[in-house]
Amino acid sequence: MHDRSDPTQSKRRFSTVLIANRGEIALRIQRACHALGLKTVAVCSEADRDALYGQSADMFLCIGPAAATKSYLNKDALLLAARLSGAGAIHPGYGFLSENAAFSAAVEEAGLVFVGPVASAIATMGDKIAAKTAMKAAGVPCVPGPDQELPSKSGAIREIAAEIGYPVIIKAAGGGGGRGMRVVANEAALEDAVTLTREEARKAFGSPALYMEKFLQHPRHVEIQVLCDMHGNAVWLGHRDCSMQRRHQKVVEEAPAPGIPPDLIASVGSACVAACRQIGYRGVGTFEFLYEDGAFYFIEMNTRLQVEHPVTEMTSGIDIVQAQLKVALGEPLGISQEDVTCKGHSIECRINAEDPATFMPSAGVITALELPSGPGIRVDTHVFEGYRISPYYDSLVVKLIVHGATRAEAIARIRGALAKLRLEGIATNVSFLRALFEGEGFARGETDIHYLENWLRERSAA
Amino acid sequence: MSQVDFTDPATIAELMAALEAAGVDGLQLERPDQGLRIILARGRPAVIRRPEGLAVAGASRTTVKAPIAGVFLTHDPSRPTTLHRSDDVEQGDIIGFLRIGPILVPLTAPASARIMRRVAEHGAIVGFGDPLFEIELQS
Repeated sequence: MHDRSDPTQSKRRFSTVLIANRGEIALRIQRACHALGLKTVAVCSEADRDALYGQSADMFLCIGPAAATKSYLNKDALLLAARLSGAGAIHPGYGFLSENAAFSAAVEEAGLVFVGPVASAIATMGDKIAAKTAMKAAGVPCVPGPDQELPSKSGAIREIAAEIGYPVIIKAAGGGGGRGMRVVANEAALEDAVTLTREEARKAFGSPALYMEKFLQHPRHVEIQVLCDMHGNAVWLGHRDCSMQRRHQKVVEEAPAPGIPPDLIASVGSACVAACRQIGYRGVGTFEFLYEDGAFYFIEMNTRLQVEHPVTEMTSGIDIVQAQLKVALGEPLGISQEDVTCKGHSIECRINAEDPATFMPSAGVITALELPSGPGIRVDTHVFEGYRISPYYDSLVVKLIVHGATRAEAIARIRGALAKLRLEGIATNVSFLRALFEGEGFARGETDIHYLENWLRERSAA
Repeated sequence: MSQVDFTDPATIAELMAALEAAGVDGLQLERPDQGLRIILARGRPAVIRRPEGLAVAGASRTTVKAPIAGVFLTHDPSRPTTLHRSDDVEQGDIIGFLRIGPILVPLTAPASARIMRRVAEHGAIVGFGDPLFEIELQS
């Protein structure tokens, strides 16, 4: 099964894709590849040998033990698997090595195509200070604060904080995912906070570099999906609201973000596209913003496919994974911004194998599984009855996605779909999600990023 | 271009460190003038015991698994005679190879044993932990 063996595919940059991931996204990518006539190589760790997507792949190869560091995060093992299987491209999915600049570079150096941006773009966006500088230069609105590393002298740090105005937030330049940050309410708490965060950053991200920004107190998390080819074409595919978060982890996402003036979002979307052109970005990406009092503030760019991409697919009608693969194949986008029209409303909830009260991960065998179906309902999952949830990886088991003509219709549809869902044998957060969607807060919309944690606190106190 | 001297202790140490880091148990390099074979002390293919119910009285059945993904070869293509063709093998006998890029990794018998079944075919791509041989350990 060597690349370029099929004469009908000879003009393509590659005909076989190695999917360097697991779970629902491995299956999602596999389907997109097959829809485009691309062959797939599924890789797995020993813990995932029973995955069904392995059987539907053109080749299935175990690359290492259960520990992610020895399998899904093992660059050498993945490159070896690509060489053995004759794959011409590697799709990293999300998580694992998807935003690892060194991996992107190693893939390209091996003569393969990395389905994602070039290493330099990943590195720029992975460094929060460099990313902010690039975004400011492109006219993307950013959170107030200098786009440079904090100095070491405490007097200079105090001056910067005073200029921004308290409360401020101190962040690790190499951080992300909600880690390596600390809110400072006043000058008395500043020095200790800087020392602690610097030490955390050094340990967790290998760099003590910090930066400081204005801390927004009640923002929403709104993000913009972009899609760029290698020919200078770029579009944005609408926006999403991902404010329903617990401990900085998204639980529910929806598209579009409710209550945002179309003119405002259009100007921010255009700025994102301009930024992509300016940095020579290719593939899919997401600009994440905080939105407060009618203003957008850039926080970071994710240089990969997002877990929540389906809500944008449901509203835009564009298959983002197929588009991503076409870009990697070297094809032009074939659409302009005028062709992108978002219709209706979509909501996604993440069904995790976790205790609905304590949120502790739950491992075990799924003994019964009934998934909802019908108009406007989409389920992305890799699990089946008899599937064993291993304790080694992310607890996401099912993504339930709905679409309706209006937000109210989408909420009604997700309530109905959750009522029909039956997943037994392991603990899941389904009961928590059902209660969340029944609540008035979600129905009202436009909730901030603290809503879910406050709602949980009130619920446990009641 | 000067060639690496396989008799240089520093070169051997460097190769051993690389094998350790890659989780590979051994390697064999051949050149017209020099040959080198390294098998690390911990270097035995992964051996998984069968459930006790399947064990044969007086002997123990085990599966020899691939320690890394590669192309399984029953013999060294450049030296066909290195294949131990008998089903009875002694500890350390080479019972097959894994080709990983340009490197040929020898697979050795973990103990004195009889090969009961050769699971992988010559030239097959095998993954980490894939079964290669079923053997019965000799008491």
